[in-house]
Amino acid sequence: MVAMEEEMIVELVKKSISSPQLDGLKVPKAVQIANVSKWFGSFQVLRNVSVDVAVGERVVVCGPSGSGKSTLIRCINQLEKHQQGRIVVNGAELTPGMKGLAAVRRDVGMVFQQFNLFPHLTVLENCTLALVRARKLKRGEAEQVAMQNLERVRIVEQAGKYPRQLSGGQQQRVAIARALCMKPRIMLFDEPTSALDPEMVKEVLDVMTGLANEGMTMICVTHEMGFAREVADRVVFMDGGEIIEQATPSRFFSHPEHDRTKKFLSQILH
Amino acid sequence: MNFDFAFAMRIVPLVLEGIGNTILVAILSFIGATVLGFCWEIVRRSHWMLRPIAQFIIDAIRSTPALVQIYFLFFVLPYYGIVLPAMFVGIFGLSFYYSGYISEVFKAGIDAVPAGQGEAAESLGLSWADTVILVIAPQMLRNIAAPLGAYSIGILKSTPILAVIAVPEMLGSALDVASETYRYAEPMIVAGLLFLLLALIAAACVAALERRLGLVSQSH
Repeated sequence: MVAMEEEMIVELVKKSISSPQLDGLKVPKAVQIANVSKWFGSFQVLRNVSVDVAVGERVVVCGPSGSGKSTLIRCINQLEKHQQGRIVVNGAELTPGMKGLAAVRRDVGMVFQQFNLFPHLTVLENCTLALVRARKLKRGEAEQVAMQNLERVRIVEQAGKYPRQLSGGQQQRVAIARALCMKPRIMLFDEPTSALDPEMVKEVLDVMTGLANEGMTMICVTHEMGFAREVADRVVFMDGGEIIEQATPSRFFSHPEHDRTKKFLSQILH
Repeated sequence: MNFDFAFAMRIVPLVLEGIGNTILVAILSFIGATVLGFCWEIVRRSHWMLRPIAQFIIDAIRSTPALVQIYFLFFVLPYYGIVLPAMFVGIFGLSFYYSGYISEVFKAGIDAVPAGQGEAAESLGLSWADTVILVIAPQMLRNIAAPLGAYSIGILKSTPILAVIAVPEMLGSALDVASETYRYAEPMIVAGLLFLLLALIAAACVAALERRLGLVSQSH
């Protein structure tokens, strides 16, 4: 009887202190996505998608174009708003018009297919802008952090240049450094190598692999199956806005269960 | 009728009397048109209910002659008790007329900044204001500098419209000379050449400004 009462009290306390944080303590989840649906007009891009990502986990999301994989990871930092379901990031539930969205975003780094570096700022300024404006660091401190992270992606000697003076691979590494400067707890990669010339893919993947080895929580939309094999803890396959199948890389590539997965793999692994 | 060079030289100072007003009206109208045009564009991008209203105003401005708008301000408003000085009507009229066009310059300038720029700024956790001021606006300025420069010269060349409401500008001065002497060739040619000179100076200033902003060397 006493035990039951205690349980009830614990439940009540949990409810009064926004419960997602407590859940987060119990199971260290970086991202929880539950029954998420989204429509662009009348077209449904996400159909009841549920997937959790643990802290430190590396997840590769793949699937044919238009399968909703980019939309899914863009929902995680609310560049796209989901219309149904729940998304909890680092213990904070993402709701329409939420107050702390900028704070959530500061902890979620994002790397885009088109790099999206700011063309009017130098490499260094690209890295320090958010540190100064959003993290409120002094300029000197911000530059120190920026240089450390440029060093991390081995491009520190280009700090004074403008993005257009760099190759695609260099630009993407700067974009990764820019995101890392914010000390994110999660990194999202949206097809980071798809816009690169073939000879530059490796330098970017090497940086990403290094990041994975440091224990960063990563969610990567990519068609680089070699990277998925080598780095991912889990591969998620999407088609038609649904998660069709998810498995460890070895299982995913050697024993895909669904016909759609098999067809996809046969098309990209030639 | 022969062109009288000596007469032309003699009337230069008379025509020049209006040049101060021409420059003043052109500069103030350009500033007014830019501010007003920016406001139309902001309203057009704001609330969905305000959007069609702003669009209608912009379309209406661009679809009626400047002369009609200025006549309206100067000759029609007084019937409703609103009497405005000619100089004010001139500056406001040109500002209003050109704001319709300049709002389109802002629209194109903002649209030309890739959506990924705002997304990158947002995903770094920058506030909306920082995103607009530090990321979007500098890139927009590069996009609008050239067309805005072109409109500044367009406005300069439109100032003679104000002769119809007796604002003493350069064409007005030339017309005064013409009506007193019954000679049109010299005053019109002198006025035309002075406008050409002003426009060339303005164009050089615009080009210098673009170079200063690094628009030529940094275009990508």
